[in-house]
Amino acid sequence: MSKVTVEHEVQAAPPRLPGRGPRVLLSPWFRLVWTIPLFFGIGAGIVSLVRWLEGWHPIWQGSVQTTVALVTIPFGFLVGIGAFDYWLAYAIGQPTRPEDHSSHGARSWRDYLRVNTDHKVIGIQYIAANIFFLIAGGLLAMLFRAELAEPGMQYVSTQTFNGLVSVHAALMIFLVIVPVFAGIGNYVIPLMIGAPDMAFPRLNALSFWLLPVAGIMMLASFLVPGGAFATGWTSYAPLASHQPLGQVFFNMGVQWAGASSIMTALNFLVTIITMRAPGMTFWRMPLLVWANFTTSTLVVLATPFIAGSQFFVMFDRIMHTNFFEPDAGGYVLGYQHIFWFYSHPAVYIMMLPGFGIISEVISTFARKPIFGYRLMALSLVAILVLGFSVWAHHMFVAGMAPWLRVPMMVTSLLIAVPTGIKIFSWLATLWEGRIRFTTPMLFALGFIANFLIGGLSGVYLGSVPIDIHVSDTYFVVAHIHYVLFGGSLLTVFAGLYYWFPKMTGRMYNERLGKIHFWITIVAMNLTFFPMHWLGLQGMPRRVADYQDRFADLNLAISISSFVLGASIVLFLYNIITSWARGPKADGNPWRARSIEWQVSSPPPIFNFDEIPQVVGGPYEYGVEGARHAVFSGNGAVRLEDAEKARR
Amino acid sequence: MRRRSFVQLAVLAVLVAAATTAIALLIPWLPESAGKERDRIDLVFWLATGIAIAIFAIVVSAIVFAVVKFRARPDDDSDGPPIHGQTTLEIVWTAVPTVLVTAIAVLSAIVLHDNASAGRDPLRVRVTAVQFAWSFTYLNGPAKNVTIPVLRLPLGRPVKLQIESKDVIHSFWVPELGQKQDAVPGRPQTLVITPTKPGTFPVVCTELCGLGHALMRSQAIVMRPGAFDAWAKSAGQGGATS
Repeated sequence: MSKVTVEHEVQAAPPRLPGRGPRVLLSPWFRLVWTIPLFFGIGAGIVSLVRWLEGWHPIWQGSVQTTVALVTIPFGFLVGIGAFDYWLAYAIGQPTRPEDHSSHGARSWRDYLRVNTDHKVIGIQYIAANIFFLIAGGLLAMLFRAELAEPGMQYVSTQTFNGLVSVHAALMIFLVIVPVFAGIGNYVIPLMIGAPDMAFPRLNALSFWLLPVAGIMMLASFLVPGGAFATGWTSYAPLASHQPLGQVFFNMGVQWAGASSIMTALNFLVTIITMRAPGMTFWRMPLLVWANFTTSTLVVLATPFIAGSQFFVMFDRIMHTNFFEPDAGGYVLGYQHIFWFYSHPAVYIMMLPGFGIISEVISTFARKPIFGYRLMALSLVAILVLGFSVWAHHMFVAGMAPWLRVPMMVTSLLIAVPTGIKIFSWLATLWEGRIRFTTPMLFALGFIANFLIGGLSGVYLGSVPIDIHVSDTYFVVAHIHYVLFGGSLLTVFAGLYYWFPKMTGRMYNERLGKIHFWITIVAMNLTFFPMHWLGLQGMPRRVADYQDRFADLNLAISISSFVLGASIVLFLYNIITSWARGPKADGNPWRARSIEWQVSSPPPIFNFDEIPQVVGGPYEYGVEGARHAVFSGNGAVRLEDAEKARR
Repeated sequence: MRRRSFVQLAVLAVLVAAATTAIALLIPWLPESAGKERDRIDLVFWLATGIAIAIFAIVVSAIVFAVVKFRARPDDDSDGPPIHGQTTLEIVWTAVPTVLVTAIAVLSAIVLHDNASAGRDPLRVRVTAVQFAWSFTYLNGPAKNVTIPVLRLPLGRPVKLQIESKDVIHSFWVPELGQKQDAVPGRPQTLVITPTKPGTFPVVCTELCGLGHALMRSQAIVMRPGAFDAWAKSAGQGGATS
């Protein structure tokens, strides 16, 4: 076998923009001092100019200028932090090199705060930002759970309540669950397929920095006149077209988060298709890679639809178009069709990568190959395809064409089949395994049980007559939280604990991890399970007030939700202290087979000193002499030594 | 060894199923039914619940069994047996859920069809939603053209509601009657209900419609036919206003 080595020149001068003023005003971040005002000025200026030319008064109409500024200010931010430096330098004829690695890798904590092209740094940037928004979204939930602890209004107005609910959901969906899988995937996928980085590192950096833009925009909506957007994360027209200014912060926030998703998804697709190590056929890819591949396909195909739906609502508002205005011949239900054509596939965008994580964790800690590997991969593809044919099950009571209901019910119910295949295959993987109850494994097992509840309540919601009764009630709130918390978020915790040693080079505290698991599981079920009853009995979702007969249960739910919220402190304490002074982790603490575990923890700056050669499937536990990947020269020896030393 | 494992697993599954069934039956999950349509919805609900209990029992008992039986000893570094799959088993767990969800789909489609038929001579009422109130206008019978803020219905007669909105999307729901329909501006919708119990039930808006959404409630009052006719006659002559 020939020895393949990869050479990278690490240090090179970053491209500099020309300029005469004080240097500090040109360096990234400091530049924000003038780029944000400049781009605000551009946005507001264009609007003012148009208004002046058209003779509209007053020329300064704050809500209009703000709307356009929400398009331009983010560019000011991105220019200010240096996300466009390389391309701008190229555009104005400065010397650039395609293989410029000057902004690659982290040598100190400061490198995590700048535009960085290393997928490992970007992965951690994503995860840190997602945890920040998880806490922000969780605190909003604590606020409205406090309001809901008693019937009647105590702390906030009903409009503020609606705002809290809406921003909570929007942050959790667009800033936590969707992107955190992009973050974990960013760190793990290139390592798993034996690639030195993602296909487009600079695009990767840009994708990440769009996220804080979207998140801060959504949070900032609380500060504008009229308060935060208050129409739910679904923001149905025509209500959304006639809300206070805060609504625009949702319309535009979704655009930035969506652009980030699409860019990352394209990056994943190109990376997975073109940069797999020699020998890694599709049928040798770990299931997390399969999951990211199918998810990215969904993102690329579906996300433009939500972008369109939000633009249409904004146009109805500021340009007096009539996409969804009933009085002017608009098609009100059109909003829901377009919105759900994205937002139902989005449910799988938020779940398939979690399926991938669970497959990795269960196989590793049961010490067994994944049962029915090919069917597991194919069921991901089945969900991808079926996922596009079920959107109208969110509209069974919406008043759409009645004949659509039964076909959409059949496809929706059929999705239970590939999902069931995955659950049964995980159980069969556990069967006769040598199970180790590490924290990631506990979260994986907790995931199966809780996601199962969410899946089964999904069958109820798929059946049209039952859905007619429980649609838009707390039953749906229970369902979505069993799927997104009991499902997605538990897989995120499983993944974060599982790859923590790889990402940081240190072990987390196992005992604290287990306590975190048990508190989360118990508090989660106490919070969300009673909501099924509330919904069936007659409590609608998104209500600031409710009938007195629901008071006791709502108080109990609020109390357990506070415990659930507090449990995140344990997680934070664990990861922060463990990262600072946890025991050192070696390259492969779990004795796993996939490639990311065959390099040091944390991995070298360009991942591999030699490109691995893939020679078999990723989960060949218990197969005598089987290997997933070998390294050509010294690497192969190192790997064998490591195995021997362990036995 | 294998056979004994499966017997133990089956016993465990039966126990889990029994416990879950007790939870399903002892807690009154559904509100009292006061309508023919709700009765049919409840039928589908209990079919789905039966299937859900079976699946839940199988999965949970398999997890518990695996956790207890296949726990590795701390000093055990060995791998499990390299089982890569088993075609028969995979076919079974693809086919059985397919059959089960098909059963739910068929019953659902039948119920959906039945719940949309109002018979030959339904009482017709227009339901009008605005931010944040309901009003009800009678379209036939002695109370024709009377508009009131609560929904009065005669026991046992099918009612065809014509649901409209004057501003944004709302949604009409009476939990005890089970049926629900969004009120969409510019697109009148119909909904059929057949009350089977006299009483007063809440009408709630279930679609977020703005700052007053939580308080957008009214009442559905189901009256005995004689009492309803008397009310309708008096209202038709300009007597009763609610």
